[in-house]
Amino acid sequence: MMDTSNEVAVRCRGVTKSFGVGAACTQALRGVDLDVPPGELVMLVGPSGCGKTTLISVIAGIMTPDEGQCTLFGRDVSSLDKRELSRLRGQTIGFVFQAFNLVPTLSVAQNVAVPLLINGVPRPLALERARECLSDVGLGDRCEAKPLDLSGGQQQRVAIARAVVHRPRLVVCDEPTSALDHKTGASIMEMLKSLVVGDGKSLIIVTHDQRIFNYADRMAHMDDGRIESVTHAAT
Amino acid sequence: MLYIALKMLLEDKTKYLGIITGIALASLIMIQQPGILLSMLTHIYGVVSDVGLPDIWVMDPKVEMIDDSKPMLDTQLYRVRGVQGVDWAVPFYKGGQKALLAGGETVNIQLLGLDDATMIGGPAVMVQGSLEDLRQPDAVILDENSANGRMAGGPGGPGHDLAPIRVGDTFEVNEKTARVVGIAKASQAFDSRPTLYTTYTRAKNYALSERKMLTFILVKAKTDEPAPDVARRITRDTGLAAYTADEFKQKSLDNFLRHSNILVNFGFVVLIGFVVGAAVTGQLFYNFTMENLRYFGVFKAMGASDRLVIGMVLLQAALVGSVGFGIGAGASAAFAMSTKGSGGPSLLLNWQLLAGCGAAVFVMVLGAACISLRKVLTLEPGVVLKG
Repeated sequence: MMDTSNEVAVRCRGVTKSFGVGAACTQALRGVDLDVPPGELVMLVGPSGCGKTTLISVIAGIMTPDEGQCTLFGRDVSSLDKRELSRLRGQTIGFVFQAFNLVPTLSVAQNVAVPLLINGVPRPLALERARECLSDVGLGDRCEAKPLDLSGGQQQRVAIARAVVHRPRLVVCDEPTSALDHKTGASIMEMLKSLVVGDGKSLIIVTHDQRIFNYADRMAHMDDGRIESVTHAAT
Repeated sequence: MLYIALKMLLEDKTKYLGIITGIALASLIMIQQPGILLSMLTHIYGVVSDVGLPDIWVMDPKVEMIDDSKPMLDTQLYRVRGVQGVDWAVPFYKGGQKALLAGGETVNIQLLGLDDATMIGGPAVMVQGSLEDLRQPDAVILDENSANGRMAGGPGGPGHDLAPIRVGDTFEVNEKTARVVGIAKASQAFDSRPTLYTTYTRAKNYALSERKMLTFILVKAKTDEPAPDVARRITRDTGLAAYTADEFKQKSLDNFLRHSNILVNFGFVVLIGFVVGAAVTGQLFYNFTMENLRYFGVFKAMGASDRLVIGMVLLQAALVGSVGFGIGAGASAAFAMSTKGSGGPSLLLNWQLLAGCGAAVFVMVLGAACISLRKVLTLEPGVVLKG
């Protein structure tokens, strides 16, 4: 059932997720509740192994929760089949990965065009839109370069362009600055905030990079599969 | 996304070239070896193919194939001529003899004796001279390949190691003079023996030591009489074996295959080509997919359906299969062209052979794609969020 209200982009209630069975069973999420409003940057922070990546995997529809409910713009993720989940991810979510994950044999523009091509946009139009997006992140003159010819900061900017090129309503970032120096990390955060949050979309960042905590509108502190506290940025 | 799949493959030049090289070599082996076999097998009944005019070949009932010579008495010819439905019947001699060349070396030859009156059984294409020239004393016609190869001798001119035999040259067959009056195109004998045409009477003269000389009787059925019916009638009335040209070709071929291991030997090489090709191609294609597995995971996380990913991998497999097979088939065709008419091992290409090899390559790349797809389809997109 589609919730037409735009009050909450992501809503998690009592989400649990475990891996393995018997003695090897690991409880990754233990009843997580979380709301992500539209136009906000929410950071999931906490020590390694606390369940941050599992939580965004559930939010992004990559994993289904064992128990509880996670809705994405009103759609219950666990009620969708594999095909519907793929479509939902393709149309609604943009991803920025820690390791950039740009295909090295493709040009920068071709990499950025991938989400549009997945959504069935014709190739010339997808490449044109990708080039526009690369201009927005300051790489309009490197469209035909290969990812490995770019610096780490430039590669992450390409990844951001790829995450927003199809105008998703939610962008999920996994440790987007951990491989970058402070200055580059700051510029990446400025860019993310301006392109995503500034456009009224939601942004969830999983990080333990304390240097970027000040960019968050809301910060969910996780530990041992639970959200211990949620803090709001000082206004 | 299919465009992206092609780009991923074509831009990884090392892997791409490695895979298509593997498929091209496998295709080359799988086409070339059976092609050579096919060519060799057609040489078994080359004489039957070259002698186009008669419908029926008549022979001693114990003859199993064209090279199996069991001569009959000349009187059998008249019995065959008397069978209902026979338009005409002429004698044909085929036997092995020894030629002594001007330089002193001896060469085993295949001697064909044609009906003196009609010259039926002679070569269809003359390169020099004419069949009528066989009416001259000691006249023989030699096949072109042997004139330039096995029978060539003495110092050659520019571009030739040995001087080819020309019209007017002489040599001996069983101590009797043979004078070349013509050069003709003829199917190479299976054992590469030179083919020498002469008249039936002169062939008898060359092969004097043989009491019976009539190797075959070549028969033409009357226009309104089906050749197989006439052949059965000849057998019934004379006790001789009689086959249509196609039946005799098939009988010769079947007999050869039954008494040789050639199919097993060539089949084994083809099998090795397939197995090695499949192993190399499968390994390289699998490695290529594994190297890109992370990116397939990224595509799946970004919303690519399983169907789309399957399409991408199958397209990549189809491309390497088509290009590799095309190169292999092209190289085989080039080999066939270069060896055509050389007298050496040649290669016969037909659509059945190409289709068979194409099917084998299809199985090869489909297998490689399926093994790779298993990994891709079981890949959880969440793997890309694990750093």
